[in-house]
Amino acid sequence: MKLKEIPFKDQSAERIYQDYLYRIRKQVKGLNQQNQDEILMELNSHIYENLQEHPAGNEVEKLLNILEKLGRPEEILKPLVADKKLAEATRTFNPIHVFKALLLNLTNGISYIIFFILYLFLFGFVFLICAKIWNPSQVGFFYKPGEVFIIGLSKGLVNPADEILGNWFIPVMIIVAIALYFMITLLLKLKRTINK
Amino acid sequence: MNEDFIHKWISQVKKGTLSFIVLNVLKSGKAYYGYDLINEIKKITEIEIAEGTLYPLMNRLKDEKLIISEWVEQESGIPRKYYSITHEGKNTVTKMEEYWHNLNQSILKITK
Repeated sequence: MKLKEIPFKDQSAERIYQDYLYRIRKQVKGLNQQNQDEILMELNSHIYENLQEHPAGNEVEKLLNILEKLGRPEEILKPLVADKKLAEATRTFNPIHVFKALLLNLTNGISYIIFFILYLFLFGFVFLICAKIWNPSQVGFFYKPGEVFIIGLSKGLVNPADEILGNWFIPVMIIVAIALYFMITLLLKLKRTINK
Repeated sequence: MNEDFIHKWISQVKKGTLSFIVLNVLKSGKAYYGYDLINEIKKITEIEIAEGTLYPLMNRLKDEKLIISEWVEQESGIPRKYYSITHEGKNTVTKMEEYWHNLNQSILKITK
């Protein structure tokens, strides 16, 4: 189902209506197409039904009254978009959705800030992978029972011979980062379920 | 009298009770579309609700599986999204009513 726009006789009413639709579209553009269409169509239906109830009178005045009562899209859609984006993110596990959802929810509680930091922590693994390519002898998983236990960049403190992963370091770091990403996202999903 | 405080309190009470009001309107089993639901609430309760806040609330109630929605095509070409209560929604609103009744009794006692 796609949006069917409401026809207006008055050009000013048409412009006000188009501006309102534009503001809705701008607010919901981060969501998937189906969610975007749903929100747009529902608010459009609200405006249409309201107009139908009062057929007589000045179109501009009627429309302005309706839109004023409905509220500014920037305000009314904020909680709806944040909620729907979080649902999309935890369902698809898509990192871009997760990032956008966290940004939208940052003001909704300290826990979202903690999740944001946890995700940032994953960049540590990306850094290690790049560092391994740059400085293979000093980056790795150094382990000697009772003496050394380091995952990372050692800067001359360790003996390169203690590195136990060798060429496997990069694949292992990739797997660990992906596994942690899924674990954090599952926690986020769990948090969302508990919130409900 | 602190009018500002009362104004804020009323808006909090309205916000907190809107889901209860919506579920009560829907509990008869009749399906309503958003604008129709707003009018029905106004008609029965004389409560003016901030119309834009209804849609995020309907989405939350749907997420909670208390209501379901369905798009119905209209002759105008502009479809309506009809909401109706689920079995779980009916059970939930019954529990909410019990709580509301007890709360009301307590408030009557305390305000005597």
